[in-house]
Amino acid sequence: MKKHWIQAGILAGSLALSSAAFAQGGRGITAHDAKNDTKPFDKHDLNGIWSRNGSPGGYGGGGTCRDCGDRGFGNDTPPFTALGQKMFDLNKPSYGRNLGSPEAAAHPEEHIGRRRAVPPVNGTDPYQWCNPMGVTRALVYPDPVEFYQLKDRVVQHFEWGQGIRTIWTDGREPLKDPDIPRWWGYSTGKWEGDTFVVDTYGFDERTWVDHFGYPHSTDMHLTERYKRTYYDTLELQMTIDDPKVYTKPWSSQLKKFRLIEKPKTLEGWQGLMEDICAPIEDVDQFNKRIRDPAGGVVH
Amino acid sequence: MTKMKISFSALTLAALLIAGMPLMAHHGTGVSYDASKPVQLKGVVTEFRYANPHPQLFFDVKDDKGTMVHWSGEFYPNPAQLVQLGWGKKRSEAALAPGTVINVTVAPARAGGPVGALMRLADEKDEVLLAIDTRTTPGAPPPPAPGQKKE
Repeated sequence: MKKHWIQAGILAGSLALSSAAFAQGGRGITAHDAKNDTKPFDKHDLNGIWSRNGSPGGYGGGGTCRDCGDRGFGNDTPPFTALGQKMFDLNKPSYGRNLGSPEAAAHPEEHIGRRRAVPPVNGTDPYQWCNPMGVTRALVYPDPVEFYQLKDRVVQHFEWGQGIRTIWTDGREPLKDPDIPRWWGYSTGKWEGDTFVVDTYGFDERTWVDHFGYPHSTDMHLTERYKRTYYDTLELQMTIDDPKVYTKPWSSQLKKFRLIEKPKTLEGWQGLMEDICAPIEDVDQFNKRIRDPAGGVVH
Repeated sequence: MTKMKISFSALTLAALLIAGMPLMAHHGTGVSYDASKPVQLKGVVTEFRYANPHPQLFFDVKDDKGTMVHWSGEFYPNPAQLVQLGWGKKRSEAALAPGTVINVTVAPARAGGPVGALMRLADEKDEVLLAIDTRTTPGAPPPPAPGQKKE
């Protein structure tokens, strides 16, 4: 019996250590494999399954790859406007260091948004109830994204939540003030040299910038700059310009994706997995039977 | 190397492999549980749900007074992770059929109550039953897929 407790202690210690490490950024394997140093590729070809996941298969939540940036938009958050502060305070995330914990106090270098996690039952994360994630949050989450590059558009198919986003490349002008905001906004893309630049407007402001609960308004303008730097590596730099919420533009941490060439599942059925947040499972079963009781609310 | 040392190194490896994956998985799983105060329980499986966002195990445990307590346990990894590790739905459900005697280590809910996140899942003989990471499960490599070479 004593042995088991020692083993459990090792587990707990490792979990705590690793948790802290993951809050800072990725581990596991890197985005770029040196064997692809000289492998030829088309810098304007974005097709394929790309992932920021640190696991060998590139699937399944958890941490990001080692040099791929972490699971937040960026730690260098600009000051909020008065409205932005109000929106930020209303959002109660369940990710990051626990609110009021010694770990939270020990890392003042991290923005408070990364140090205020509460149990989900006390949180307000819209995804807890399977609402759409929105663009930025989906992009920083470390699950695969398949890019389909068509003649007039690039489609991003996010495995997590089975999200589909269309980026129009048919030459249309950006829709800067649409009548009806969208969960995924209105996106247009064009090539500037070897960089694919995407402009998005018209966001539904109920989504979060990332899972730390950073807010945005309907007026947010998101710019994404994608650059394929190696055969197996895609870099992404994002900038949020949202004067209603942030006093100056917010540039993201550099994010990297790696190419998943041979996705696999148990039975050799290749391609993205189905990872749908379904209320019948997530809300009616998981939340009511596990998540809520874990936070002290028994139905 | 002694059996004890093997056990320790395997568990340490398991912890390190597991650690990064689960705590920041879907739905803010980590924050509700206290992994620094693991609890060991012996129980009998009553229900297992291989489902998003995290598989769920329900099991009965007799407390010190002989009263049956119904526990709820949440897996840290989600089905997508388990699949990549070789633990598909059928295999997992077979390993955790109702009536299976289990020895589990859970990170208990900070709010109290018979609910926790599963840190270790072993059988009646205390041998790992369904590993969070199958690379640490002796004799249980992921089954090769039809038409695929065994890795």
